[in-house]
Amino acid sequence: MNFFQAQDTARRKTGQLVMLFGLAVITLILLTNVLVAVVVSWGGAQRGVAWQDAVAAVPIENWLAISLGVLGVIGVASVFKFVGLRGGGRSIAEALGGHLIHQTTTDRKERRLLNVVEEMAIASGVPVPPVYLIPEASINAFAAGFTVDDAVIGINQGTLDLLDRGELQGVVAHEFSHILNGDMNINLRLIAILHGILFVGMIGYGLLRSGGFSRRNGGALVALGVGLLIVGYGGTFFGNLIKAAVSRQREYLADASAVQFTRDPGGIADALKKIGGYSAGSSLDNPKAEESAHMFFGAAAPKFARSMMATHPPLEERILAIQPNWNGQFPYLGVTPGAMAEQAGVSAFSGPIEVQATPEQVVAQVGQPSPESVDVARTLIQDNPPDLKNAAHDQYMARALIYGMLIVQDGDTAQEQLRYLRARDEALVNDHLDTLLPQIHASAGAHRLTLFEMAVPALKEMSSAQYRRFDQNCAQLITIDKRVDLFEWVLHRLLIKEIKPHFDGPQIVRGRIKKIGRVESEAAHLLAVLASAGHADYDQQQKAYRAGADELALSVAFDYQEVFDFAQLNRALAKLRKLHPLTKPALIKAFASVVLADDHLSEDEGALLHGISATLDCPLPPSIYA
Amino acid sequence: MITTIVVIGIIAVLAFWAVSIYNKLVALRNRYENGFAQIEVQLKRRYDLIPNLVETAKGYLSHERETLEAVIAARNQAMAGLQAAAADPSNASAIKELASAEGILGGALGRLNVVMEAYPDLKANENMMQLSEELTTTENKVAFARQAYNDQVTEYNSYRQSFPPIVFANMFGHGLDAELLEFADSEQIQEAPQVSFN
Repeated sequence: MNFFQAQDTARRKTGQLVMLFGLAVITLILLTNVLVAVVVSWGGAQRGVAWQDAVAAVPIENWLAISLGVLGVIGVASVFKFVGLRGGGRSIAEALGGHLIHQTTTDRKERRLLNVVEEMAIASGVPVPPVYLIPEASINAFAAGFTVDDAVIGINQGTLDLLDRGELQGVVAHEFSHILNGDMNINLRLIAILHGILFVGMIGYGLLRSGGFSRRNGGALVALGVGLLIVGYGGTFFGNLIKAAVSRQREYLADASAVQFTRDPGGIADALKKIGGYSAGSSLDNPKAEESAHMFFGAAAPKFARSMMATHPPLEERILAIQPNWNGQFPYLGVTPGAMAEQAGVSAFSGPIEVQATPEQVVAQVGQPSPESVDVARTLIQDNPPDLKNAAHDQYMARALIYGMLIVQDGDTAQEQLRYLRARDEALVNDHLDTLLPQIHASAGAHRLTLFEMAVPALKEMSSAQYRRFDQNCAQLITIDKRVDLFEWVLHRLLIKEIKPHFDGPQIVRGRIKKIGRVESEAAHLLAVLASAGHADYDQQQKAYRAGADELALSVAFDYQEVFDFAQLNRALAKLRKLHPLTKPALIKAFASVVLADDHLSEDEGALLHGISATLDCPLPPSIYA
Repeated sequence: MITTIVVIGIIAVLAFWAVSIYNKLVALRNRYENGFAQIEVQLKRRYDLIPNLVETAKGYLSHERETLEAVIAARNQAMAGLQAAAADPSNASAIKELASAEGILGGALGRLNVVMEAYPDLKANENMMQLSEELTTTENKVAFARQAYNDQVTEYNSYRQSFPPIVFANMFGHGLDAELLEFADSEQIQEAPQVSFN
C-alpha cells in the first residue's frame, strides 16, 4: 500500500466510522424508547391497566422528546470532546501528563530519542514533531494529532530506559507510520465519538445516584437511571468493538511499515519482545489512558489481550508477523533494568547515494521513508556546521537562524534588514546573527531546508506572544525589499504550514476534488512556475512544461513566468490542496517530470518542490531534492 | 417527562462545560510547567558556568576573596532555589525565592564585574573571554525563556480568573494564581550582560 492509498483508506475508514456511529446512535435511541415503554407498561400493570393501553396512552411528543434528548446528549458530548481535542496532538500529550522534552536537553537518553525522531522526520520529509515524555514505567509510545503539522510523539519513561537505539528506531518508525498514513486523525475522531456514547451511560449513573435521594419519583428515576446505564455502557461496549477492530488492523500495517522504513525487522521485533518480557509490559496507570488506548504502540490494558475488545493484536502474533521463525522466548527484563549502553554515535554513512530518480520513483517515495533516505537525512543533519545545528535546537537561537535565512547576501537590503531587526526589542538576536550569518550564507539550499525542519520543535517552544512577534519579523524581513524571491516564498510556506498550526490549531483540509480537469489552470500555473525556475532558455522551459502537462493531459499553453508571482502561486496551491488523495500522485509525477526534464535538479527546483509538496500534504524525502 | 428530558439535557451540558474547564486548566498548568523546565535548563547551565568563572578569576584576584566568595554563595543559594522551584513550579513562594536569589546573584556578579575592570590581564585572558561570552548567551536565553514562561503563566492566571472558570477553579485544585518569575534586575539582564569585556 503506498502513501496515497493509505491516505484514501484512512479517509474511507473515517467515513465508515461515521456510519457505524450513526447506526449506534439510532440503536441507542430505539433502546431508550423501548426502555421507557417497559417502565410505562410496568407502571400500568401496577394500576391494573393492560400494557398496550398504558404505552398507547403516552403522547407521541414524549417519544420524540426522548429521542431528541438522547441525540442531543450524544451530540453535545461528542462536540465538547472534539472541541477539547482541537488543540491537536499536544492536547492529548498534556492530558496524559506528558512533559515536553526540550530540544536543549543534556540527558543522554533523551538526546538519543530526539536524534532518532529527528532523523526519521527529515527522512520522511515531515516537520520534526515535539516529543513528550509520559511518566509511566512501562514500554509504550503514541503519536497524536490531526495533521503532520500538529503531530506530537509521546514516549513512556520505560521505553526510554529499556530500549536500545535500534529498538527505539523501530518504535519511532511505527509511530511515523501512524502519522503518515492518516491514522492519527481517525484515532482522535474515535475518541470524540465514543465519548458521546459513553456519556449516556454516565448520565444513567448520575440519575441512579440522585434517584436514591429523591422521595417523589424516586423509583422511576432509579429505573430510568439503570436503563440509561445499560444503554450507555452497552453502546460503549459496541463502540469499543468498533474501535478495537479498526485499531488492530492499523497496528499490523504500522508494524509492517516500520520494517519497511528501517529495513530492520530486528528493531521493532525486539521492542515487542521486551514488552513481553518486562513485568510492567506496555500497560498504563493513568485512568485517562483508557480513552486513548488505541493510539498507543502496545496494548494499554493487556488483560483483554485476546478478546474482541483488544485494541492491539496479541504480542506473539505481531512478533511472528515480523519474524516468522521466532522461538517464542521473551527476554527476561525483571523489574529494574540496568542502564543500557548507547551505541557509539550513529551508523557510518556509506558513501554518497546515487539519486537516479525518475518521476515514477519520486511518486513512490512520497510519505515512504526508506533506510536510504534515513542515511541521507543523517548526512544532511551531520554536514551542518555545529553552530547552526546548536542554533536549530535552541528555542532562543532558532529565531536568529530563521532570520538569518531570510537575510539576503548583498549590501543595501541586508543592511536594511539588519537595521530592522536591531530596532526590534529582540535586539540581542543580532549578536548571534553576526556569527551565524556567514555560515548560513555558505550552506546549500538543501541544508538550509533541513535546518529549518530541525528548528521546528524549538520554534514551537515559544509562547504565543513570542510567536506573533517572530511571525511579524519574518514577514517584514521578506517584504522589506518589496519583492519575494523563491527561497523566501518556500520558507514562508513552511512557516505557515508547519509552525502556525501549533499556535492557532490544526488546519484540516478535506480533499474532495476528484478530477484534475477542474483545477486545470492552477495545475498549469504550478508547472509553468517550476519550468521557468529550473531551466535556462525558453525552448527548454517549453519542453519541460510539456513533459508535465502531458502527464496531466493539460491543454493549457505554456505561460512563461518572468517574475515570481507568489500571490498567484499561493492561490493555485490553496485550490490544489483540495484535491482528493488519489489524484495527487499524477500531480506529483507531473511536477517531477518538469523538474527532471533536463535530468538535473537545481537548488531552486529542489526548494520549490519541497515547498509545494509540503503544502499539498505529500511529504517528499530529502533523498529527492538534496 | 419533557421537563425531565430538558433537565437532563441542561445537566449534561453543564457537566460537559465543567469537564472542559477542568481539562483546560490542567492543560494550561502543564504548559507553564513545561515552560519552567526550559528556564531550568538555561539556569542550570548558568550556575555551572559561574564556578569556572570564579576559578579563572581567582588567580588574578587574590585580594578580592570576599567578592568571589559572595558570588559562590549567591550561586549556591540560587541553585537551591532553582531545585525547590523546579520540584513544583506551581508553588508561588518557591518561585519568589528563586527570583530573589537570582537578584542577589546578579548583584554579586555585577560587583565582580566592577572589580575585574581594574585587572586588564584578567580581561585579556582567553578563557575568561570565552566564559563571559557564554554567560552572556545563557543570560539572554534565560530572559527569553522567562518571557515565554511568564506569557504562559499569565494565560493560565487570566483563564483561571475569568468567569465561569473562577467558580470551579478552587474546587478543581486550581485555587491559586501561578507566580510570574520576575528578576529584580530583569531590566539589566535584558539591556546588558553582567560580565562584559568591551
